[in-house]
Amino acid sequence: MDLIIRTEKLDKFYYLGRPEEVRALNQIDLEIYKNRIILIRGPSGSGKTTLLNLISTMDRPTRGQIFLFGEDISKYSDVELSRIRQKRVGFIFQNFNLLPRLSAWENVAFPLLPLGILENERRRRAVEMLIQLKLEKRVNHPPEQMSGGEQQRVAIARALINDPEIIMADEPTSNIDAESVKILLDIFTDLKRKGKTIIISSHDPIFLDFSETVFFLKDGNLLDVKQGEKL
Amino acid sequence: MKRHLNFLFAAIGNIIRNKVRSLILILCLIAVLFPFISAISISEGIKYQSLISIEEGADIYVTSDHYGSNAPISLQYLSRFQEMDGVVKVFPRVVGRTYFVNRLAAIVGIPSGNIPQSIRLKGGVIFREKGEVVIGKGLAKEFELQIGVRFTLSANPSKLFRITGIFDADASIWSANLVLMDFEDASEFFRLEGKATDILIYTRPGYAPVLAREIQEKISPSNRHSSEPPLRVQDKSLVKKYFLRGFNYKAGVFTALYTVAFALAIPALLVISGFGQTERKKEIGVLKATGWQTQEVMEMVVLENLAISLTSAPLAILMAMAWLKLFNGAFIAQFFIAEIGLMAPFPVPSRFLPLPCLFAFLFAMVLTMVGSLYSIWKTATIPPVEAMR
Repeated sequence: MDLIIRTEKLDKFYYLGRPEEVRALNQIDLEIYKNRIILIRGPSGSGKTTLLNLISTMDRPTRGQIFLFGEDISKYSDVELSRIRQKRVGFIFQNFNLLPRLSAWENVAFPLLPLGILENERRRRAVEMLIQLKLEKRVNHPPEQMSGGEQQRVAIARALINDPEIIMADEPTSNIDAESVKILLDIFTDLKRKGKTIIISSHDPIFLDFSETVFFLKDGNLLDVKQGEKL
Repeated sequence: MKRHLNFLFAAIGNIIRNKVRSLILILCLIAVLFPFISAISISEGIKYQSLISIEEGADIYVTSDHYGSNAPISLQYLSRFQEMDGVVKVFPRVVGRTYFVNRLAAIVGIPSGNIPQSIRLKGGVIFREKGEVVIGKGLAKEFELQIGVRFTLSANPSKLFRITGIFDADASIWSANLVLMDFEDASEFFRLEGKATDILIYTRPGYAPVLAREIQEKISPSNRHSSEPPLRVQDKSLVKKYFLRGFNYKAGVFTALYTVAFALAIPALLVISGFGQTERKKEIGVLKATGWQTQEVMEMVVLENLAISLTSAPLAILMAMAWLKLFNGAFIAQFFIAEIGLMAPFPVPSRFLPLPCLFAFLFAMVLTMVGSLYSIWKTATIPPVEAMR
């Protein structure tokens, strides 16, 4: 099994050195292997999203090291981190973070813009991705004309458009209905089948049986790790 | 290249999508730029017409020098100047100002045979008899004056004048409030018997500097016990220099006022370009989260500003043209032309040159860049999760 993410004594503090200092993550050591479905679980405020943000390069740690694909990224420059986000990591945000004035296909395609791919090709790839996620009728719709589940699938399509090796999802079931949850689990299963690594941060018990490794967090501390072979 | 094209289209797309913000920004830029372009074009127009007048005018102007100021010169000098080698033509002139009703008018008296070619009669004939005058089109229009009308002027109400013609001039600014009459009439009107306000000398090409020096050295009374004051000799280049100096002063006053307005516009534009900043910040966070580099975000913003500037500057130029055409440069022309009031009674001269138009575009670029680049760069360099928060 290939180790793709490893953290060493990872800390994240907010308002460092001030009376209101918050220790969001405390000395986190974890290992994540390739082509597995990982769940980061814990109560609200336990540090799940913070941990996900750090290992996805969306945020920087206060202390400690993060090894992504064997390389210590904690000291990486802004340019190098952007490159990782562009090619190797796809992120699905809890509130989707779609750009309100863009249509579904434009939202999916804009990560392709800096790669020099022209509009026709961008559109073709984005539409293909949206069709795979059963959104063919929503290609030209802006986010405000879509349901929560549809918006989430657009966000998934955007995360997958550059064919990343790792897909991270923050509380993916919190803003969608039961039908959409079922579709989401199917998508994750399919991605796992394609060799992707999926890391989910959620307190939803639906993912407990679905995941192969579960990290339990409480008050910024890693309490327990459970390994399984459900899939 | 394809990447840059993508950013350009994305920038244009952003401008179109953020209609309200873009429109407000463009309108603000136009509001800042159009007075500048109008003023520069008026300034260039006046300068152009004035320089043409100077070029067409005499080669040497001679007056008396009274304690450093111009003073009337004795007509006795006329014959002495005429005798000088290289002189083609010499004639005296009276230039003065007085009120025509409530408007300050310029009175010019010259021998009728020396009327400049740039003066074109629109109606009537040139003055021949005593008391006859021709007046500028602007003055005639303002007071609805017709040929044959008789009038007096405030400086010497005892003298009666009759209009024999109405003229237009190449330089619209001079035809506005000019009353042109015979030298003798003007001399009598201003009670300058035996004197002129200046003597105009036309020379053969290349003679002017030598003659000017000769007049100063040989003809001008140099003895401090002499009853005659010394002469003040100005050749064309000196007149041009004095004109430009005075003109640049006026332009300088406008520039100073404009700079203050410009400085005030920057914070205003900072606020406007920050219009929708929260949404913009989040958008940049999303771009960064999906792999955009800071420099790519910046490139798109620069292209957006470029497109905004390229839209605003020509619109501001068009608006300045319309302002000059429809409103005759109201509020702005008065900075450059004395006592014309809010609306000039004659077509304000203007000239649109490429360089000021280029400056207008650069100003627009500077304003939009100052308003956006730093905040965008700051947002793009923080972790995406913070930008999206």
